[in-house]
Amino acid sequence: MTTVRTLVAALCLCALGLLPLPSFAATELVLWHAYRAEEKAALEKVVAEYNAANAAKGIKVTTLAVPYDAYADKISATVPRGKGPDLFIFAQDRLGGWIESGNTVEPIDFYLDDATKKRFIPSTMEAMTYRGTTYGLPLNYKVITLIYNKKLVPVPPKTTGELVKLAKTLTDKKAGRFGLAYAYSDFYYHAALMNGFGGGVFGANVTPTLNSAQNVKSLELMMKWLEKDGIVPTEPSTALITALFNEGKAAMVFSGPWFLGEVAKGVDYGLARLPILDEAGGKPMSPWMTVEGVYVAAPSKNKEAAYDFARFLTEASSAKTLALEGRQSPSNQAVYSDAKVAADPQLKAMREQVEVAVPMPNVPEMSMVWSPATSAMNAIVKKASTPKAAMDVAQKAVAKDVANLRKK
Amino acid sequence: MALFSSRREGVPHLPLHVLLLGFTLFTLYPILWVVSLAFSGRQSLALSTLPESPTAMDRLRAVIPWPETWSLSNFTSVLTDQPFARWVLNSVIISTGTTVVGVFVACTAAYAFSRFKFPGQRAGLMAFLVSQMFPGTLMLIPLYIILVQWLGLGSSRLGLIIVYATTSIPFSVWMLKGYFDTIPKDLEEAALMEGASVSRIFWSIILPLAKPALSVTALFSFMTAWNEFILAATFMDQEAMYTAPVGLRFFVGGFSQQWGYFAAGAILVSVPVVVLFLFLQKYLVSGLTAGSVKG
Amino acid sequence: MSTNAPQQPAGDLGGPGPGVASGQSGDVLLTGANGGPASSLRRGRVLGGLALTLGLSLFLANGLLARAREERAVERAQRRAGVALLSLADVVQRAGGTGDGVRAAVKDWPLPAGASVRVIAFNGIRLEASTFPEDTGDKAAPRRLSRDEKPLYDRGQRLRAAVETNREEGGARKPEVESEARPSGGRLLSAPVEVDGTVVGAVEVATPPVPPVGRGGLAEALAAFLVPLGVCGGAGFLVRRQRVLAGVAAVLFVAGLGGYAVHSMRTLADELRGTQEAVGAELRERTTRAQALLAAHGLRTEPPLTPAAWDADSLRHPLGLLTDAGQPVEAMLATRVAQVRDEASRALGLLGVLGLALLLYVGLGGLHRTAATLKEHRQAYAYILPALVGMLLLVFFPFGYGIALSFTDANLYNTHQPLSELWVGLRNYVEILGDFQIARRAADGSLVFNYLNFYYTLFFTVVWTVTNVAIGVTVGLVLALALNVPNLRLRPVYRVVLILPWAMPNYITALIWKGMFHQQFGVVNQVIRMFGGQGVSWFDSPTTSFLTALATNGWLSFPFMMVVSLGALQSIPAEIYEAARVDGANRWQQFTAITLPALRPALVPAVILSVVWTFNMFNIIFLVTGGDPGNSTEILVTQAFKFAFQRYRYGYAAAYATIIFGILLLYSLVQNRVSRATEAA
Repeated sequence: MTTVRTLVAALCLCALGLLPLPSFAATELVLWHAYRAEEKAALEKVVAEYNAANAAKGIKVTTLAVPYDAYADKISATVPRGKGPDLFIFAQDRLGGWIESGNTVEPIDFYLDDATKKRFIPSTMEAMTYRGTTYGLPLNYKVITLIYNKKLVPVPPKTTGELVKLAKTLTDKKAGRFGLAYAYSDFYYHAALMNGFGGGVFGANVTPTLNSAQNVKSLELMMKWLEKDGIVPTEPSTALITALFNEGKAAMVFSGPWFLGEVAKGVDYGLARLPILDEAGGKPMSPWMTVEGVYVAAPSKNKEAAYDFARFLTEASSAKTLALEGRQSPSNQAVYSDAKVAADPQLKAMREQVEVAVPMPNVPEMSMVWSPATSAMNAIVKKASTPKAAMDVAQKAVAKDVANLRKK
Repeated sequence: MALFSSRREGVPHLPLHVLLLGFTLFTLYPILWVVSLAFSGRQSLALSTLPESPTAMDRLRAVIPWPETWSLSNFTSVLTDQPFARWVLNSVIISTGTTVVGVFVACTAAYAFSRFKFPGQRAGLMAFLVSQMFPGTLMLIPLYIILVQWLGLGSSRLGLIIVYATTSIPFSVWMLKGYFDTIPKDLEEAALMEGASVSRIFWSIILPLAKPALSVTALFSFMTAWNEFILAATFMDQEAMYTAPVGLRFFVGGFSQQWGYFAAGAILVSVPVVVLFLFLQKYLVSGLTAGSVKG
Repeated sequence: MSTNAPQQPAGDLGGPGPGVASGQSGDVLLTGANGGPASSLRRGRVLGGLALTLGLSLFLANGLLARAREERAVERAQRRAGVALLSLADVVQRAGGTGDGVRAAVKDWPLPAGASVRVIAFNGIRLEASTFPEDTGDKAAPRRLSRDEKPLYDRGQRLRAAVETNREEGGARKPEVESEARPSGGRLLSAPVEVDGTVVGAVEVATPPVPPVGRGGLAEALAAFLVPLGVCGGAGFLVRRQRVLAGVAAVLFVAGLGGYAVHSMRTLADELRGTQEAVGAELRERTTRAQALLAAHGLRTEPPLTPAAWDADSLRHPLGLLTDAGQPVEAMLATRVAQVRDEASRALGLLGVLGLALLLYVGLGGLHRTAATLKEHRQAYAYILPALVGMLLLVFFPFGYGIALSFTDANLYNTHQPLSELWVGLRNYVEILGDFQIARRAADGSLVFNYLNFYYTLFFTVVWTVTNVAIGVTVGLVLALALNVPNLRLRPVYRVVLILPWAMPNYITALIWKGMFHQQFGVVNQVIRMFGGQGVSWFDSPTTSFLTALATNGWLSFPFMMVVSLGALQSIPAEIYEAARVDGANRWQQFTAITLPALRPALVPAVILSVVWTFNMFNIIFLVTGGDPGNSTEILVTQAFKFAFQRYRYGYAAAYATIIFGILLLYSLVQNRVSRATEAA
């Protein structure tokens, strides 16, 4: 009886916060991420806020930064064996693979209520969904937008017709000036055109559709810009694009937030939505977006606590810190009505662009696409092959790989 | 060069200097780009840019690794941004441990292969070689299972030392075995006559004579551990346990890449290797003479 | 040279001193003598060997039989539970997946003691009906699932995804019936509930623990052990020659184990028939009940019930062992019995072969000799042991796993299945090595290589290896020779500078090299243009792309060779050159007659290892060319990597890796034969 009484007394004292919580009651959650510098600092700030608010409950979140190059391998090696973290942050591109290999990512539909679901930009939620099941809460997204030199382009073009017209006046090949520069031979960048035309990489049932008519049309438009209109440089390497933009020799660029860090100090740039495709009947260019989600690890012993933290991390208040201090574009919708966030031109532009962006497929088959697609893009740009012929070759290669994976 | 080693005849040094100078330049050129990048205060790996119609001077400027402005900011950032010193210390501990364990274990094995005749000798020596043949890129998960799941050596320096030492042993065994073979046996026979034990002979006669080969294998073992990245990043679960290569990789990979930081860090982590080499090179070139063997 | 040195001193160092009886001399003694202690020793060895191996084999066989019987018992329980599950799922589907019909069906569903069922509906995350003992009182169905019941919901969703995936892909790769062990010992089976083509929930059946199967068959095992042993003991007095006696023992071993095998298979066949009857009875009972329920609650009777479909595998494919009326299908049963019999005889056959080998090894004195050898050379083995243990653990175990993987169809989709279920034999190898489409003629008559072909990649890898090692060794050796000249000024400076490529992390230097070959900004093209030439698009043709990787790797690898050569040069005493000069040898003669042979012991291993490393030099290819253009500069190991991590075909990639391993092993065996590097000095 005395032991019971002591216990009750201790519990009361604990509840009043007079006694420190016994250590066995403490729940430690481990979160892995691949951030550094200001992103890491912002994340750690949010984590500290959470820890302060939940100290009474005995919940403590600790973080571990992992270099990006080793991150995916580390998760694949550790998490299924129960040695990994309770939560981790990763882009959606590896999600399908981890779900298929099993015991890595916990489905969260059971926890997910409608209020939480509505918190996010719908397409970012779609990126977290695999075969009808939700596996993570979307944290932030990255998309490419139109970045322009304000000196050369007073008003950004709204349509591709305007874009070409404007770019032609700004192009002077002899002086090395171009109206537009972007890594058009890179399949990731080209996807903005491809999706705009209604094309894509996979159709229903994850069957590859690389050589679809829409895809070919989008490639023909790209080749028109390169050959007939001549508004883009012939060698579209990222180094060249950065150099041209910084020297004021490229008026407009299609690129993502990572490009902004490389813009030289003196260049006054603006961001705008990618233009509408006149050639596709007024449909907008739709870039691929990569969405970073926060996932609960399947073998975690504190799934509910982990999910609670994931919810906190994607709340508007956390999103504000991550946006303003970590320079991320949060998936949380409410944060964009915050005065400071709304006043930020980068965040505003990203928010507008994401409306028409398409989540990059999260199926594991996507990794089979890059190499054939890159070869095809190179062949098309170097005029070694017509768009149709090149995409036929790529289609055949991807279809073969998909079939080989599925055969019994 | 042994061929030119005559003191009386002498070798014309000038052509040698020309050769060595040429190679030194060839060797240094890419490294100077790393140095220039590190001191430029910039982050882009694009070495230089050119105007559209460059003059010969522009081109010349573009091929000379000289930063436009000099700045130490990359170095200070690398050292203050992250616990870099701590990671270098971890690397030093792990690499030194690897060297000691790897060289010692390899020495005893190589000695047995060189001096004893026993069944399984050829197969054993082959087995060490064979171990290098399976592509290492596919072994990450099996290694993880053995070391972390079975042996419970996750997030420990010992675990990494064991893996690295095992990786470096095959080369060390073959290298040392080859070198032991060249050490004449007269000495050991004499010592044996005087009643010295095998281990005594090994420690006090063979090892001192094998210093050049020991330095080579020590350097090799050290380097195996020093630059390894993926295993260290996978096995270590605390930031304080990371090694220097892991810390360096934070700067690159993913969407934004700070090559300037990486270059500065790369120079910093090369310094201990150079120091080690400076220490070892007196053994590497301490010529062995027949006299010393006989004496 | 050292290899020609007499072996005597080495033997003296390693071998035990005189007076210690060695294994060899003992054997000579035995074969020389006839009868007496030697003869009885021989007999004892054969008899002991037989007792050991037969005992061991029978023990294992008995264990195998017990396991097989247990598997059959589990199979029986599983199939009966499966019938109960799928028949209930059928009724629940006809009741629309939710509502009173479902609850009534569950309530009236007959179950053996200790078994329970429940139905989960996705809509509203509800427990629709349950007969689980814990779901009573305020937890009685219907209700929303509680927080701790998340696994139930997730399992249902997994089944839904599986059904949809299988339907979309037109395949059958995901289980549509899940079965897992319960902590209490029974099993829990779950199946999806499909209404109008969509999965709306799940049905689960929990079974009571399967009663343990007795070990059984011990008397037969004992008989199969003692009879041959007795016969062998008797034969020992009749047969004098050891070989003959060993032969007799072998025959007796086969007879003993074979007899037991016959018994085992009969037992298993009986078990199968028993299972068949039990499941048939279950099926008949369920059919009656289901029909009664359908009638009582006015549920849909169209399409008519197909009870045979309830006896299905995890993909819900009917096993075909029973008819709709619950009668056994004899032909299918016979195949099933034959299948089980095959499995058993394969396992026992393997056991027999291993046992026989062990028997002959012990009986003919192999064990004895091995022990003697180990004892004689214990010092040598002790010196090698630490290195070998590390190797065995960290290298050869993963190897074995990799090689086993190469015979399977393991891929991303089936990682949780055991390898034995994915066995495809040599299929991966046939696919890789049997593809001879190396090149084809294009429309304009030019030759177009198929860069993904194994033989093209092999050719490229060999060219890559040979050129790299040749450059590395030549440059390294020349520099080492130059640096070995005494009194050369600035020697230490050169030495330190020349190892820098090795000292610096190659991740950055490799990328700097890649940058130097950039078409627009690369310094190489700047220099070409400075002299009036045209810049080259280095990564656009296989040859130039190869040259960039070659330059990078050459630059990275010569310091290592230089250091190795420098070390090796120290083993040459200066006096030898003096003597050679006195004999009138010129420099070239000195180099070929003294320097090269002296360098050989160190250089040969370094070259062999360089070949192995360069063959598998993943980083440089990956970082510098990335296989461009169009996979033409891939080497075998980067190709294997892409098969594993881009195309997710782990088994196929493992076969690639095993082939790489085979090629290198062959190379090193040949090289060794030529250079005799493995021999002791």
